[in-house]
Amino acid sequence: MSETPRLDEVFGPARSERPLGQVMEGSLSTGLKVRLDPGFTLERMAVGRYVVILGRQTGITFFGLITDIALEASDPGLIHRPPQADDRLSLDVYLGEVAYGTLHVSPMLMLEADQDQPRPIKTIPTHFSHVYEASAQDVARVFGEEDETHFFVGTPLDMEAVQVNLDLGRFVERSSGVFGKTGTGKSFITRTILAGIVQSGLASTLIFDMHNDYGWSVKDESGRAYKGLRQLFQDGRVSVITLDENTSRARGSKIDGRLTIGYEDLEPEDVEMLASLLGLTDVQTQALYFLHRRLGVDWISRLMSESGEEDELQEMIDSGRIVAGTLGAIRRKFESFFPRMGFLVPGSANQSVDDVFQRLSMGTSVVLEFGNYGNTLAAYVLVANYLTRRIHARYVHLKNLAAGQKAEEPRPLVIVIEEAHKFLDPQVAGHTIFGTIARELRKYNVTLLIVDQRPSGIEDEVMSQVGTRVTCLLDNDADIRAVFSGVSGAGALREVLARLDTRQQALILGHAVPMPVVVRTRDYDQDFYASITGVAAGSASAGESLFGE
Amino acid sequence: MPETTGPIGRITRCSTQSFSGAVHPSALSRPAFGAFCQAEDTAGEIKVIGVIYDLRIEDDPLARQMAALEDLPAEQLADAQKNRQAPVEFSALTVGYEQGDRIIYALPPRPPLTLSPVFLLSGQDLLRFTGEASFARLILASPNLPSEQLLAAALRSAIAARPEGDRDRYQLLAGRTVARLLAGDLPRLENVLGALR
Repeated sequence: MSETPRLDEVFGPARSERPLGQVMEGSLSTGLKVRLDPGFTLERMAVGRYVVILGRQTGITFFGLITDIALEASDPGLIHRPPQADDRLSLDVYLGEVAYGTLHVSPMLMLEADQDQPRPIKTIPTHFSHVYEASAQDVARVFGEEDETHFFVGTPLDMEAVQVNLDLGRFVERSSGVFGKTGTGKSFITRTILAGIVQSGLASTLIFDMHNDYGWSVKDESGRAYKGLRQLFQDGRVSVITLDENTSRARGSKIDGRLTIGYEDLEPEDVEMLASLLGLTDVQTQALYFLHRRLGVDWISRLMSESGEEDELQEMIDSGRIVAGTLGAIRRKFESFFPRMGFLVPGSANQSVDDVFQRLSMGTSVVLEFGNYGNTLAAYVLVANYLTRRIHARYVHLKNLAAGQKAEEPRPLVIVIEEAHKFLDPQVAGHTIFGTIARELRKYNVTLLIVDQRPSGIEDEVMSQVGTRVTCLLDNDADIRAVFSGVSGAGALREVLARLDTRQQALILGHAVPMPVVVRTRDYDQDFYASITGVAAGSASAGESLFGE
Repeated sequence: MPETTGPIGRITRCSTQSFSGAVHPSALSRPAFGAFCQAEDTAGEIKVIGVIYDLRIEDDPLARQMAALEDLPAEQLADAQKNRQAPVEFSALTVGYEQGDRIIYALPPRPPLTLSPVFLLSGQDLLRFTGEASFARLILASPNLPSEQLLAAALRSAIAARPEGDRDRYQLLAGRTVARLLAGDLPRLENVLGALR
C-alpha cells in the first residue's frame, strides 16, 4: 500500500495542489474577486461551491462561497477585436491571459492556525492569496458531525459524502422560514426538518397543515407516496388532529382527534384577520367589537339568527348605534362563510384548545389537518389565528409563572404556518399574533416556522427577525430581496439563489448553520425513514412497519 | 562552445542594449532577421545574447555608379557582388545573457568586447535560452524597432529549433507569455500573433 492512500485514509484526500486562482481585489463587505487560473475551466465552476483561501501573509484559512462567475478581458477593446473563429492560435493564447474568468467569492468564516473551530470573518485575505477548491474535509469541518441536536438535512453541491447538519437547537430558538416557488419542494424540506425536530425532542411543533402534507401519506406529482410524520413517529410523538374528519378518513389518515370551534369561542380579534378575505370594510370591522360587546359571547349566532330581527339589533339601529347597512353587510358576510365551516359548532368548544395545548405541553407534536377546508383560505386563517392566539396566551402565562418559580418552563413550541404572507403582510403583521411571535424571538418559548412562496409579502421587520432561512428556487426579484433582508453581504448570495435547481436544492443561511450553504436536500426515502425510526431500510420487518401502522 | 559552424562575424560597435558588427563574407547566408546570436563580454565571464534586428549593406560611389548603368555587364556584376569587399553589417538587440549556468533575461552588466566573434545560437543553447519566452519583454520594450515583427521572427526561429512534435506546445507557451506582456495592448498582440502564424 502506498503512502498517499494511507494518509488519505486517515486525513481524507489532500486538497488539490493547484490553486483555482488568486485573490485580486475585493472587500469585507462586497466579497473577493478571484482571477481563475487558466488551467481551470470556467465552465466547470458553479455558484454555491465552497472554496478555501490561504491567507498569504498570516496563513489564516478562510472559507468562502462562490457567488458569481464572470468573463473579463484585460483590454476593453477585446469586444471590438475578438480573434477569428478559425484562428486557433489566437483563441488559445487569448484564453486565460487576455480573456479570463473571475470568481466572486463571499468569505464567510476564518480559521486561525491555533484554533479548532472556524469563526465569522473579521478580515479578508490579502492580494494574491491562493484560492483552492474546498475539500470534503474542509466542508465537513465547518458543518460538524450529526448528533442529537445536529440534523443532517442535505449535502453541499458536488460533495455527496459531506453532511450539512442543521443546528436544531438554534433553529427552534428563533423563528425560521422555508421559502420557494410552488413546486420547488418546500413541503418536503419542511417535513424533513420537522422530522428532525420531533426526533430531537427539542421542541413540540404545531403544524397548520393546509394541504394535508405533513401528517399522513402524501403523494408527489408522479403519484409516489411518502410517509407523513404520524407514520414516521408511531410512538405518540406526533398526533394528527383534523378539522375535516370525512376527508381525513377518506385519505386513510389515522387521526387522534377532531378540532371544533364553538361560535361562542370566537372573538372579534379572530374575525378581524378575515377582514380582507370576507370583504369587511374598516367600519364593519370596527363594528364587530361593538356587536360583541353588546350581544355577548353568542354574538355570531345571534347575528346569523334566522328567527327574525332580534329586538336588540333593531334597537341598535333605531338608536343610531349602528347603521343598518353596516349590520346587514356583516350579517350577509357571516352567513356566507361561517355556516359552510363544518368545524364551527354552536355553543362553546374550548376543550379543543385544551386538548391541543396538553399534547404540546407533553412533548407531542400536533399536525392539524384541514382536509377540504384547506382550500378555503379564510378557514385556514381563522383556525390558525384562533388556536395560536390562545396557545400563545397560555405560554405567556406559563412563562410568567416560571419566572416567578411557580411553574416549570413551558416546552419550546414551533408553530408552522403556510401561506405566511396572509398572516404577516405589512397591513396586518403589526397587530396579529404571528407578528407578535416573530418579534418576540424566544421570549415565551414560542417561535414560528414560516412556509411561504411569496416572502416579499411578509413585513420587512418580521423577515429581519427570521433566524434561519431555508430557501428553494425563487425567481422574483422582490421575493429574493425579501429573503435576504437583514442579511449582510446578501447581494452576492442573490445570484446563488436565483440559480438553484427547481427541485431538491436549497440555500440555507442564518442562525442554524455556520455559513450559508447550498444543499441538495436529503432524499425523503426509505433510508430517511430508517434513520428516523431506527429500523434498517432493508430489513423485511422494517418494510412492514415503514408502510403501515 | 556553442553549436555553430563558426562565427558569423565580429563586433564593431556595442553597448549594453545592443551590438553591431560586420559579417564574414563566408557567412553571408547565415545571419537572418530574428536569429539569436551571442558574444562574450570584455571579461569573458558572461555571454551576451542578442536577436538580430537589422542586416544592411552600405552603398559607396562605385556601387552607385554601377547601379546607374543601363547595360551592366554580367562579369562586372558578378565581380562586384562576389569579389568586392562591400561589408554586410548586422545589428542585434540584447535580450539576455548567460552567466555561469544561469540565464538572465535582462540587460547584461557589461557589453561584449569589440571585435569579439559573434556566433549564431543553435542546438541545445538555443533550446535552453528560449525555453522560456521571457526574452520577449526586452524586445517589446525596445523603442524605434519593429518590435512585433522582430519578436515574431525570434519566436519563429525558436519554434523551428524544436522537434516537430513539440512545436505546437511551445508556440502556445510563447504566445501566452507574449499575451501576458501585451494583455492591455491588443493591436500589438495581434501583430505578433499574426506574424507568428
